[in-house]
Amino acid sequence: MSLNYLNEAVESGDTEQLIRYVRLHFGDGNEKNGRKEIDKAWIEALKLLLDVPATDREFILKTLGEKDAATLAHLFFHLHFYFVGRSGEWIHDGEL
Amino acid sequence: MENFKETDLKQLRPGLWATVNERYPGSMITKTDFVPLARLKKPLPESRIAFISTAGVQPKNSLPFDTVHPVGDYTFRRVPSRSKPEDLEIHQLKYPTVGAKRDLNVIFPIERLQELTEEKIIGELAPNFFSFIGYNMDALKLEQTLAEDLADAVEAEKPDGALLAPA
Repeated sequence: MSLNYLNEAVESGDTEQLIRYVRLHFGDGNEKNGRKEIDKAWIEALKLLLDVPATDREFILKTLGEKDAATLAHLFFHLHFYFVGRSGEWIHDGEL
Repeated sequence: MENFKETDLKQLRPGLWATVNERYPGSMITKTDFVPLARLKKPLPESRIAFISTAGVQPKNSLPFDTVHPVGDYTFRRVPSRSKPEDLEIHQLKYPTVGAKRDLNVIFPIERLQELTEEKIIGELAPNFFSFIGYNMDALKLEQTLAEDLADAVEAEKPDGALLAPA
């Protein structure tokens, strides 16, 4: 799947193609694994907040307020891999 | 390097682009251009050799390759050809790095090339080798930025030949 395919999917509103690409990226070419990886990251993030620990909301709000959307999107992808790494179940062949 | 005219040599694997596009629809630019081969102008023991790899190998403490970006990383790193494996690290998500961590030479044969130079089989190594990651989904950007920038950087090293090694 190329960037052209993805841009065409954006233009036609084909969201299934877009999320499929994300799953393939996170699952190293395996869509089913990618879906599981997305779940893993969210579960890991949720677990960290269940005890309602003190968090740096000022940092969060400052970052969201000051950084451009593309940087935040890039950060979003970083965070996915960060939480997958924290889960202790690393499916990827290589490392970040 | 000496370039040959189209009439001198046939392009290797002329169906390559179509094959890749069959497996990964749209991920490769369809190329009908003739890609000229080049022959060494002088014997290998007198030649300066560059090395280019998609292994994602880079000097420690350099900015890690962006392995999380969904569309890829279009930068390359210079790797001094005198480096020792312990000076280098791998940032690459899409191929198994277990073996390469035990012996970097299996994916980035820097010590073997150094040895071949010491044995005078290769004349000398270019001051820098080059590495990038192969996960680049924008084929046009890959060609117009990374490939062009890398070609300029390699040319600046004045090599007589280049060893290309995909990961």
